[in-house]
Amino acid sequence: MSSRFRTSTTHPRRGLVVSAVVAALVMLVTGCTSAVGLQRSGTESVLQQGEDVPTGGTARIGVGADLIPATFLSLGNNPTNGGVSANVFDTLVQYPHGSLEPEPRLATSWQLSDDGRRLELALRDDVRFHNGKEFTSRDVEFTLRTYTDPSWNAQFRRTAAAITAFDTSDPHRIVLTLSQPTGNIFDLLAVAPILDGDTVDGLKEGRVFNGTGPFTFFSWQPKVSLSLARNPDYWGDPPHLDGVTFAVVSDDQALVTKLRTGQIDAAYDLPSLDAELAVSRGGFRSHVLEGAESDQYIGINVSAPPLNDLRVRQAIAYAIDRDRILTDVYRGKGYASSLPWPRTSPAYDEQTANTYGRDEERARALVAEIGDVPTIPLNYPADRTSRIIAEIIQANLRDVGIDVDLIPTDAAQMTSLLVAGQFPGLWVTQHGFAQMTPSTLAVAAFPFNAVKNASNFLDPEYQAHAVAAWQQQDPTSPAAIDAYRALNADLLESLFLVEIGVVQTEVVVSTDLGGFDWSRTNDPRFDSTYLLRT
Amino acid sequence: MVTYLARRLPSAVLVLFLASLLIFAILRLVPGSPEETLAGADASPEQLAAVRADLGLDRPLVAQYLSWLGSLFRFDLGKSYIVGGSIGDLIAYGAQNTVVLAASALLIAVVYALVVSTASVIFRNRLLDAVVTVNNSIAAALPIFITGTLLVLVFGILWPILPSGGTPPDGFLTRPDIAAQYLILPAITLAIPAGAALTRFLVEALHTELRQPYVVTAQSIGVSRRRIVLAHALPNALPSVLTVLGLTVGGLLGGAVLVESIFVWPGLGLLTEEAINSRDYPLVQVLLVLSVAVFVVLQLLTDVAHAWLDPRIRLGGQA
Repeated sequence: MSSRFRTSTTHPRRGLVVSAVVAALVMLVTGCTSAVGLQRSGTESVLQQGEDVPTGGTARIGVGADLIPATFLSLGNNPTNGGVSANVFDTLVQYPHGSLEPEPRLATSWQLSDDGRRLELALRDDVRFHNGKEFTSRDVEFTLRTYTDPSWNAQFRRTAAAITAFDTSDPHRIVLTLSQPTGNIFDLLAVAPILDGDTVDGLKEGRVFNGTGPFTFFSWQPKVSLSLARNPDYWGDPPHLDGVTFAVVSDDQALVTKLRTGQIDAAYDLPSLDAELAVSRGGFRSHVLEGAESDQYIGINVSAPPLNDLRVRQAIAYAIDRDRILTDVYRGKGYASSLPWPRTSPAYDEQTANTYGRDEERARALVAEIGDVPTIPLNYPADRTSRIIAEIIQANLRDVGIDVDLIPTDAAQMTSLLVAGQFPGLWVTQHGFAQMTPSTLAVAAFPFNAVKNASNFLDPEYQAHAVAAWQQQDPTSPAAIDAYRALNADLLESLFLVEIGVVQTEVVVSTDLGGFDWSRTNDPRFDSTYLLRT
Repeated sequence: MVTYLARRLPSAVLVLFLASLLIFAILRLVPGSPEETLAGADASPEQLAAVRADLGLDRPLVAQYLSWLGSLFRFDLGKSYIVGGSIGDLIAYGAQNTVVLAASALLIAVVYALVVSTASVIFRNRLLDAVVTVNNSIAAALPIFITGTLLVLVFGILWPILPSGGTPPDGFLTRPDIAAQYLILPAITLAIPAGAALTRFLVEALHTELRQPYVVTAQSIGVSRRRIVLAHALPNALPSVLTVLGLTVGGLLGGAVLVESIFVWPGLGLLTEEAINSRDYPLVQVLLVLSVAVFVVLQLLTDVAHAWLDPRIRLGGQA
């Protein structure tokens, strides 16, 4: 009888099949090339004394954010935007790390008139854009006019708007006519990447990046990576690297892992503790970006009770343990200060920089004077570093009798509240621009803008002092220093924001990478960078 | 079958339409906007207004919605506000990576479930049963972000034999051996909870089948347990697991967001998360509508598969 159930239990070919599968798997595994090995391929070497800097290789830089073409002229702590701007494009001048004395770049020399209203710049005559087009004074005019276009969101719009006329009759010379002496005009010239008017629409759409810089824009896979290639026709010294690749890694831990496993050669924006561990245990090197400092601060909406009471703001300023934040969170990469200026700034004042050191007794006395202080909301960016800072601030304020509610806020909402000036109370975040010419802070950085700021602080005297500082032709003259002192007095007396301290940006790099450089605005520069890995 | 499908389509279309409306509306209610993200914290009101106009966000909401809907019908997905590039290109690249990851995870989960559940049922070893049960419980309970991080720590850092993240630099097809090494850790991470769920259901389904009269008959005439399970019980148990499989696929796509973040795998999950964070309205809208569409299609396919397997369903319950 036939049965649908086979009763035979012997399967002579089963053993052969199993053996064949196992053998195939073993061959597959042993025959594979190691992906980890490929990531770390190359023999490391050490640069010997007197040895020529090696040429070749592609540096891989881990960054937390992708390129955002529409914000290309906006300075906002995006190392990818900054990396493209600083390497694919050139500026007219550049600042060295420790000084605000401009150095030549596309502009070879300049002359400012005695009244500060006429600036003449001589331009290089041997520069071409990557598409072969010759660089002329018309391109400078186009770039500076573009800065006044509101759709580009350039912080230096007001400075650019002070230029009322351009003389481009000579293709290698440009004369700028200014409506007033403008103390931070060289800040604009040091940050503005010279654009090609014919391709700028493509730039905004992320299609074309046509500059004059040491690297050309090679490829871009959005959200993944962006590659630059050496420009063989660069007007200056050719770069040592064949190229640079920015790897977008939005997660901090993943960035650390990529660095430790050799998938990248440098990591930007690592939390300070992770950076410290990478250096102390991972054998990596730390570059503190001197001259590109930022500031950690507590913003205050002075129109929101009880913060409209100056005594509350003073109590907050006295209560904060700045040293603890800078030590615990930033691992000593920074210093406490009541003023926004780094020590290298002409506006830095040793005598008043520590006006608001931690003084719990004084803070409690102020709170006692006020009486019952209602709970104050504190918004902070929803990242690990900001959360820890917010918690320290909450504890410090609780110690002096001020209760604070912590509100984690995502980046888009933080921006929205900042722009609208609608924070319900306090907020913590960082600001830049204090490392530039001091007057830039009050005319370009929104937290400090005298005309409109996130704190809703409007004071005619502050506005007058901001304008006076801005109109100082020589930003390091005694008159300028006096103007900055007046600004400092306004900041310390009004306390529409409370500075915690100056924070030094740190980039962790592998020992393979040498010659790492950066601009004043924290942008990575690779024209002198080299790879020791062959 | 075609009639059955035609009956189901209108409701699917309605779901998609309502989802598009809801997604459009909710995005506008969330604090923060793309013009503020692009303009930055230092923007003046004039700059904000200029950016808003540039993006077309100064038009009435109804006009924006209808314009977007119209472009979808023309298969024009639009451009990303933040990246500037074509949304179609972004999604195609992300989808490729997510499909590869999810398919690999599904394969691992299904193979694991088949092997473990049949072994457990065939060998009837209490120790084996206990190990499988505990293993599945842990696998189901442990969050993906913990298993993923642990796998990276062990195999990417402490014993670096596999890449800790990223996609194969030359694509998936040029060097399959390299591609497989990049896939192993994220696929296993994603597969673990799915495999545990599938195993549990398949074991139950097999035990149910083994209580059927035909099994008793087979045993009585001396058919081996292995043959009964593999040749008869398993094929009969599979349809009931099909529904779970559909849900598993949905869970894999949802879990991919975390896995993509941990392993820096540039798929749709990571793309969606970043688009939401930057309020990239056109990209978020398309991605979320696409997610709904995938679920609707999966549901439809599951229902069709059930109807094919059980004619009573497609005949409307007639005997």
